[in-house]
Amino acid sequence: MSEQTLNIPQILVFLVITFLLIRWLFSKPSGSSTRLPAGQSRGFRVNPAHVDQLSQMFPQLSRRDIMWDLQRNGGNVATTTERVLSGRALEVPPPSFQPPNLRPSNPTSRTATPPLRPAHTDLITRYNLASKINTPFEASSSEPNVPKKAWSQDKDERQKLLQRRREEMILAARRKLEEKDRVKSTETS
Amino acid sequence: MAASSASKRLFKEYRGLSSDPPEGITAGPVTEDDMFVWEALIQGPEGTPFEGGIFPAELKFPKDYPLAPPTMRFTCEIWHPNVYPNGVVCISILHPPGDDPHHYEQASERWSPIQSVEKILISVMSMLAEPNDESPANVDAARMWRERRKDYERIVRDNVRKGLGL
Repeated sequence: MSEQTLNIPQILVFLVITFLLIRWLFSKPSGSSTRLPAGQSRGFRVNPAHVDQLSQMFPQLSRRDIMWDLQRNGGNVATTTERVLSGRALEVPPPSFQPPNLRPSNPTSRTATPPLRPAHTDLITRYNLASKINTPFEASSSEPNVPKKAWSQDKDERQKLLQRRREEMILAARRKLEEKDRVKSTETS
Repeated sequence: MAASSASKRLFKEYRGLSSDPPEGITAGPVTEDDMFVWEALIQGPEGTPFEGGIFPAELKFPKDYPLAPPTMRFTCEIWHPNVYPNGVVCISILHPPGDDPHHYEQASERWSPIQSVEKILISVMSMLAEPNDESPANVDAARMWRERRKDYERIVRDNVRKGLGL
Protein backbone atom coordinates (compact mmCIF):
# COMPACT_ATOMS: atom_id res chain seq x y z
CA MET A 1 0.00 0.00 0.00
CA SER A 2 2.62 2.49 1.13
CA GLU A 3 4.82 1.58 -1.82
CA GLN A 4 2.05 2.48 -4.23
CA THR A 5 1.43 5.92 -2.76
CA LEU A 6 5.13 6.59 -3.09
CA ASN A 7 5.13 5.60 -6.75
CA ILE A 8 2.40 7.91 -7.98
CA PRO A 9 4.36 11.17 -7.59
CA GLN A 10 7.32 9.50 -9.23
CA ILE A 11 5.19 8.52 -12.20
CA LEU A 12 3.84 12.05 -12.42
CA VAL A 13 7.33 13.53 -12.38
CA PHE A 14 8.40 11.06 -15.04
CA LEU A 15 5.43 11.99 -17.23
CA VAL A 16 6.07 15.71 -16.88
CA ILE A 17 9.73 15.29 -17.75
CA THR A 18 8.90 13.16 -20.80
CA PHE A 19 6.39 15.72 -21.96
CA LEU A 20 8.87 18.57 -21.60
CA LEU A 21 11.55 16.56 -23.36
CA ILE A 22 9.29 15.83 -26.33
CA ARG A 23 8.25 19.45 -26.53
CA TRP A 24 11.84 20.57 -26.42
CA LEU A 25 12.81 18.13 -29.17
CA PHE A 26 10.00 19.29 -31.44
CA SER A 27 10.53 22.99 -30.92
CA LYS A 28 14.26 22.74 -31.43
CA PRO A 29 14.42 23.03 -35.24
CA SER A 30 12.37 26.22 -35.36
CA GLY A 31 14.26 27.80 -32.51
CA SER A 32 17.65 27.42 -34.08
CA SER A 33 16.56 27.85 -37.69
CA THR A 34 18.11 31.31 -37.93
CA ARG A 35 21.48 29.71 -38.34
CA LEU A 36 20.41 26.92 -40.63
CA PRO A 37 21.01 27.18 -44.38
CA ALA A 38 18.03 27.20 -46.70
CA GLY A 39 17.77 23.50 -47.30
CA GLN A 40 17.75 22.44 -43.66
CA SER A 41 15.03 24.63 -42.23
CA ARG A 42 12.41 22.69 -44.15
CA GLY A 43 10.78 21.17 -41.11
CA PHE A 44 9.36 24.46 -39.89
CA ARG A 45 6.09 25.56 -41.39
CA VAL A 46 5.22 29.24 -41.49
CA ASN A 47 1.79 30.01 -40.13
CA PRO A 48 -0.22 31.48 -43.04
CA ALA A 49 -2.13 33.71 -40.61
CA HIS A 50 1.14 35.41 -39.65
CA VAL A 51 1.97 35.95 -43.31
CA ASP A 52 -1.49 37.46 -43.87
CA GLN A 53 -1.03 39.72 -40.89
CA LEU A 54 2.38 40.96 -42.06
CA SER A 55 1.39 41.45 -45.66
CA GLN A 56 -1.55 43.54 -44.52
CA MET A 57 0.72 45.67 -42.39
CA PHE A 58 3.26 46.02 -45.20
CA PRO A 59 1.47 45.59 -48.52
CA GLN A 60 4.66 46.55 -50.38
CA LEU A 61 6.38 43.32 -49.31
CA SER A 62 6.08 40.12 -51.26
CA ARG A 63 4.59 37.17 -49.41
CA ARG A 64 7.53 35.06 -50.41
CA ASP A 65 9.97 37.44 -48.72
CA ILE A 66 7.81 37.53 -45.61
CA MET A 67 7.66 33.74 -45.47
CA TRP A 68 11.39 33.50 -45.92
CA ASP A 69 12.02 35.92 -43.06
CA LEU A 70 9.51 34.15 -40.79
CA GLN A 71 11.02 30.82 -41.71
CA ARG A 72 14.46 32.07 -40.74
CA ASN A 73 13.50 33.64 -37.44
CA GLY A 74 11.33 30.75 -36.34
CA GLY A 75 7.96 32.33 -37.08
CA ASN A 76 8.47 35.39 -34.92
CA VAL A 77 6.13 38.09 -36.26
CA ALA A 78 7.51 40.74 -33.92
CA THR A 79 11.07 40.24 -35.16
CA THR A 80 10.02 40.59 -38.78
CA THR A 81 7.93 43.69 -38.00
CA GLU A 82 10.86 45.19 -36.12
CA ARG A 83 13.15 44.50 -39.02
CA VAL A 84 10.88 46.16 -41.58
CA LEU A 85 10.15 49.15 -39.35
CA SER A 86 13.82 49.73 -38.66
CA GLY A 87 14.29 50.19 -42.39
CA ARG A 88 16.28 47.05 -43.04
CA ALA A 89 15.01 45.37 -46.17
CA LEU A 90 14.02 41.73 -45.98
CA GLU A 91 16.42 39.30 -47.55
CA VAL A 92 15.56 37.97 -50.95
CA PRO A 93 14.88 34.24 -50.56
CA PRO A 94 16.97 31.87 -52.67
CA PRO A 95 15.22 30.47 -55.74
CA SER A 96 15.15 27.04 -54.10
CA PHE A 97 12.81 28.37 -51.41
CA GLN A 98 9.37 27.11 -52.42
CA PRO A 99 6.81 27.56 -49.65
CA PRO A 100 4.00 25.09 -50.33
CA ASN A 101 1.34 27.42 -49.01
CA LEU A 102 2.36 30.47 -50.99
CA ARG A 103 -0.69 32.12 -52.42
CA PRO A 104 -0.99 35.36 -54.29
CA SER A 105 -1.55 38.34 -52.06
CA ASN A 106 -5.12 39.38 -52.42
CA PRO A 107 -6.14 42.50 -50.56
CA THR A 108 -9.84 41.79 -51.00
CA SER A 109 -9.57 38.25 -49.68
CA ARG A 110 -10.54 39.43 -46.18
CA THR A 111 -14.10 40.07 -47.27
CA ALA A 112 -14.54 36.74 -49.02
CA THR A 113 -15.41 33.88 -46.69
CA PRO A 114 -12.81 31.31 -47.72
CA PRO A 115 -9.76 33.33 -48.77
CA LEU A 116 -7.89 30.13 -49.62
CA ARG A 117 -8.28 29.63 -53.33
CA PRO A 118 -8.00 32.34 -55.94
CA ALA A 119 -10.97 32.49 -58.28
CA HIS A 120 -10.21 31.10 -61.71
CA THR A 121 -11.77 32.18 -64.93
CA ASP A 122 -12.91 29.43 -67.24
CA LEU A 123 -10.96 28.66 -70.40
CA ILE A 124 -13.57 30.13 -72.73
CA THR A 125 -13.22 33.53 -71.07
CA ARG A 126 -9.48 33.27 -70.71
CA TYR A 127 -8.89 32.56 -74.38
CA ASN A 128 -11.67 34.77 -75.68
CA LEU A 129 -13.43 31.89 -77.29
CA ALA A 130 -17.01 33.00 -76.65
CA SER A 131 -17.45 34.03 -80.30
CA LYS A 132 -16.17 30.68 -81.55
CA ILE A 133 -18.32 28.45 -79.35
CA ASN A 134 -21.37 28.50 -81.54
CA THR A 135 -19.66 27.89 -84.83
CA PRO A 136 -20.80 24.43 -85.81
CA PHE A 137 -18.14 21.81 -86.08
CA GLU A 138 -18.45 21.48 -89.89
CA ALA A 139 -17.74 25.15 -90.44
CA SER A 140 -14.54 25.12 -88.47
CA SER A 141 -13.30 21.87 -89.96
CA SER A 142 -13.80 23.17 -93.50
CA GLU A 143 -11.32 25.91 -92.72
CA PRO A 144 -7.75 25.12 -93.54
CA ASN A 145 -7.44 22.37 -91.02
CA VAL A 146 -4.97 22.84 -88.23
CA PRO A 147 -2.54 20.01 -88.56
CA LYS A 148 -2.09 18.17 -85.31
CA LYS A 149 1.61 18.09 -85.88
CA ALA A 150 2.68 21.68 -86.26
CA TRP A 151 6.08 23.25 -86.38
CA SER A 152 7.25 26.23 -88.34
CA GLN A 153 10.63 27.82 -88.83
CA ASP A 154 9.07 31.22 -88.22
CA LYS A 155 8.76 32.34 -84.63
CA ASP A 156 5.46 34.22 -84.97
CA GLU A 157 3.90 31.47 -86.99
CA ARG A 158 4.93 28.91 -84.38
CA GLN A 159 3.28 31.03 -81.73
CA LYS A 160 0.09 31.19 -83.77
CA LEU A 161 0.09 27.47 -84.43
CA LEU A 162 0.43 26.78 -80.72
CA GLN A 163 -2.38 29.20 -79.99
CA ARG A 164 -4.58 27.48 -82.56
CA ARG A 165 -3.85 24.07 -81.12
CA ARG A 166 -4.80 25.28 -77.65
CA GLU A 167 -8.04 26.81 -78.89
CA GLU A 168 -8.93 23.73 -80.89
CA MET A 169 -8.34 21.51 -77.89
CA ILE A 170 -10.58 23.62 -75.67
CA LEU A 171 -13.34 24.03 -78.24
CA ALA A 172 -13.34 20.33 -79.08
CA ALA A 173 -13.72 19.46 -75.40
CA ARG A 174 -16.50 21.97 -74.99
CA ARG A 175 -18.39 20.66 -78.04
CA LYS A 176 -18.06 17.10 -76.80
CA LEU A 177 -19.45 18.03 -73.41
CA GLU A 178 -22.34 19.96 -74.96
CA GLU A 179 -23.09 17.01 -77.22
CA LYS A 180 -23.17 14.73 -74.18
CA ASP A 181 -25.58 17.09 -72.43
CA ARG A 182 -27.84 17.09 -75.47
CA VAL A 183 -27.93 13.29 -75.59
CA LYS A 184 -28.69 13.17 -71.90
CA SER A 185 -31.53 15.67 -72.10
CA THR A 186 -33.17 13.86 -75.04
CA GLU A 187 -32.91 10.60 -73.15
CA THR A 188 -34.65 11.99 -70.11
CA SER A 189 -37.38 13.87 -71.98
CA MET B 1 25.90 30.25 -69.87
CA ALA B 2 23.67 27.91 -67.90
CA ALA B 3 20.63 29.93 -68.88
CA SER B 4 21.42 29.75 -72.60
CA SER B 5 21.92 25.98 -72.56
CA ALA B 6 18.70 25.68 -70.56
CA SER B 7 16.71 27.66 -73.09
CA LYS B 8 18.28 25.66 -75.92
CA ARG B 9 17.17 22.45 -74.28
CA LEU B 10 13.68 23.89 -73.67
CA PHE B 11 13.43 24.96 -77.28
CA LYS B 12 14.32 21.45 -78.38
CA GLU B 13 11.65 19.99 -76.11
CA TYR B 14 9.14 22.52 -77.42
CA ARG B 15 9.87 21.46 -80.98
CA GLY B 16 9.49 17.81 -80.05
CA LEU B 17 6.21 18.39 -78.28
CA SER B 18 4.83 20.39 -81.20
CA SER B 19 5.83 18.08 -84.02
CA ASP B 20 4.87 14.91 -82.19
CA PRO B 21 2.46 15.84 -79.40
CA PRO B 22 1.41 13.14 -76.97
CA GLU B 23 -2.32 12.41 -76.91
CA GLY B 24 -4.27 14.99 -74.94
CA ILE B 25 -1.38 17.36 -74.27
CA THR B 26 -0.58 20.78 -75.67
CA ALA B 27 2.37 22.62 -74.22
CA GLY B 28 4.73 25.43 -75.08
CA PRO B 29 6.20 28.69 -73.84
CA VAL B 30 3.75 31.49 -73.15
CA THR B 31 5.97 33.57 -75.39
CA GLU B 32 9.23 32.50 -77.01
CA ASP B 33 10.93 35.59 -75.58
CA ASP B 34 10.95 33.79 -72.26
CA MET B 35 11.48 30.07 -72.62
CA PHE B 36 11.31 29.59 -68.84
CA VAL B 37 7.55 29.99 -68.47
CA TRP B 38 5.28 27.53 -70.22
CA GLU B 39 1.62 26.90 -70.36
CA ALA B 40 0.30 23.39 -70.73
CA LEU B 41 -3.17 22.05 -71.37
CA ILE B 42 -3.86 18.56 -70.14
CA GLN B 43 -6.88 16.54 -71.10
CA GLY B 44 -8.64 14.66 -68.33
CA PRO B 45 -7.92 10.95 -68.74
CA GLU B 46 -10.82 8.87 -70.03
CA GLY B 47 -12.67 6.59 -67.69
CA THR B 48 -12.03 8.95 -64.77
CA PRO B 49 -14.17 11.79 -63.37
CA PHE B 50 -11.68 14.15 -65.04
CA GLU B 51 -12.75 12.82 -68.47
CA GLY B 52 -13.76 15.52 -70.92
CA GLY B 53 -12.02 18.30 -69.01
CA ILE B 54 -9.14 20.50 -70.10
CA PHE B 55 -6.83 21.53 -67.30
CA PRO B 56 -4.47 24.46 -67.83
CA ALA B 57 -1.22 24.61 -65.89
CA GLU B 58 1.80 26.84 -65.69
CA LEU B 59 5.31 25.42 -65.72
CA LYS B 60 8.21 27.49 -64.45
CA PHE B 61 11.71 26.34 -65.24
CA PRO B 62 14.82 27.17 -63.22
CA LYS B 63 17.80 28.74 -64.97
CA ASP B 64 19.77 25.55 -64.43
CA TYR B 65 17.18 23.32 -66.11
CA PRO B 66 17.46 20.36 -66.71
CA LEU B 67 19.63 19.92 -63.62
CA ALA B 68 16.75 21.12 -61.46
CA PRO B 69 13.11 20.34 -62.20
CA PRO B 70 10.45 22.90 -63.07
CA THR B 71 7.52 23.69 -60.80
CA MET B 72 4.02 23.10 -62.05
CA ARG B 73 0.85 24.83 -60.95
CA PHE B 74 -2.66 24.29 -62.21
CA THR B 75 -4.34 27.57 -63.08
CA CYS B 76 -7.85 26.19 -62.73
CA GLU B 77 -10.00 24.75 -60.00
CA ILE B 78 -8.68 21.30 -59.31
CA TRP B 79 -9.71 18.94 -56.55
CA HIS B 80 -7.11 16.25 -56.22
CA PRO B 81 -5.17 14.65 -53.34
CA ASN B 82 -1.79 15.49 -54.89
CA VAL B 83 -2.48 19.10 -55.84
CA TYR B 84 -2.19 21.82 -53.21
CA PRO B 85 -5.21 24.10 -52.84
CA ASN B 86 -3.18 26.82 -54.58
CA GLY B 87 -2.74 24.57 -57.64
CA VAL B 88 0.87 23.45 -57.12
CA VAL B 89 1.39 19.88 -58.24
CA CYS B 90 3.18 17.51 -55.87
CA ILE B 91 4.50 14.39 -57.61
CA SER B 92 7.80 12.59 -57.37
CA ILE B 93 9.02 13.46 -60.88
CA LEU B 94 9.03 17.14 -59.88
CA HIS B 95 11.26 16.49 -56.86
CA PRO B 96 15.04 16.54 -57.25
CA PRO B 97 16.70 13.24 -56.25
CA GLY B 98 18.56 14.68 -53.28
CA ASP B 99 15.51 16.34 -51.85
CA ASP B 100 13.00 13.88 -50.50
CA PRO B 101 11.19 15.39 -47.55
CA HIS B 102 9.00 12.33 -47.12
CA HIS B 103 11.55 9.55 -47.65
CA TYR B 104 9.21 7.29 -49.52
CA GLU B 105 10.00 7.99 -53.15
CA GLN B 106 12.31 5.87 -55.25
CA ALA B 107 15.27 7.82 -56.60
CA SER B 108 14.37 6.59 -60.08
CA GLU B 109 10.92 8.19 -59.90
CA ARG B 110 12.29 11.59 -59.09
CA TRP B 111 13.66 14.33 -61.30
CA SER B 112 16.85 13.84 -63.25
CA PRO B 113 18.11 15.51 -66.44
CA ILE B 114 17.02 12.51 -68.49
CA GLN B 115 13.39 13.30 -67.67
CA SER B 116 11.51 15.83 -69.78
CA VAL B 117 8.50 18.10 -69.95
CA GLU B 118 6.69 15.41 -71.88
CA LYS B 119 7.33 12.85 -69.14
CA ILE B 120 6.18 15.30 -66.48
CA LEU B 121 2.92 15.99 -68.28
CA ILE B 122 2.27 12.31 -68.91
CA SER B 123 2.96 11.58 -65.23
CA VAL B 124 0.57 14.32 -64.20
CA MET B 125 -2.05 12.87 -66.49
CA SER B 126 -1.75 9.48 -64.87
CA MET B 127 -1.69 11.13 -61.46
CA LEU B 128 -5.13 12.56 -62.26
CA ALA B 129 -6.33 9.04 -62.95
CA GLU B 130 -4.63 7.46 -59.96
CA PRO B 131 -4.01 9.70 -56.97
CA ASN B 132 -1.12 8.78 -54.70
CA ASP B 133 -2.55 8.46 -51.25
CA GLU B 134 0.79 8.38 -49.48
CA SER B 135 1.64 12.06 -49.46
CA PRO B 136 -1.50 14.13 -49.85
CA ALA B 137 -0.94 17.77 -50.76
CA ASN B 138 -4.63 18.47 -50.28
CA VAL B 139 -5.58 16.60 -47.13
CA ASP B 140 -9.31 17.29 -47.46
CA ALA B 141 -9.40 16.05 -51.04
CA ALA B 142 -7.41 12.98 -50.03
CA ARG B 143 -9.81 12.16 -47.21
CA MET B 144 -12.79 12.64 -49.47
CA TRP B 145 -11.21 10.47 -52.16
CA ARG B 146 -10.70 7.73 -49.58
CA GLU B 147 -13.96 7.95 -47.68
CA ARG B 148 -16.57 9.57 -49.89
CA ARG B 149 -15.59 8.74 -53.45
CA LYS B 150 -18.99 9.79 -54.83
CA ASP B 151 -18.68 13.32 -53.44
CA TYR B 152 -15.11 13.56 -54.67
CA GLU B 153 -16.15 12.58 -58.18
CA ARG B 154 -19.01 15.06 -58.15
CA ILE B 155 -16.69 17.96 -57.29
CA VAL B 156 -14.25 16.90 -60.00
CA ARG B 157 -17.03 16.70 -62.62
CA ASP B 158 -18.36 20.10 -61.57
CA ASN B 159 -14.88 21.56 -62.04
CA VAL B 160 -14.64 19.99 -65.50
CA ARG B 161 -17.81 21.82 -66.54
CA LYS B 162 -16.82 25.07 -64.84
CA GLY B 163 -13.46 25.03 -66.60
CA LEU B 164 -15.16 24.86 -69.98
CA GLY B 165 -17.62 27.60 -69.12
CA LEU B 166 -20.68 25.37 -68.77
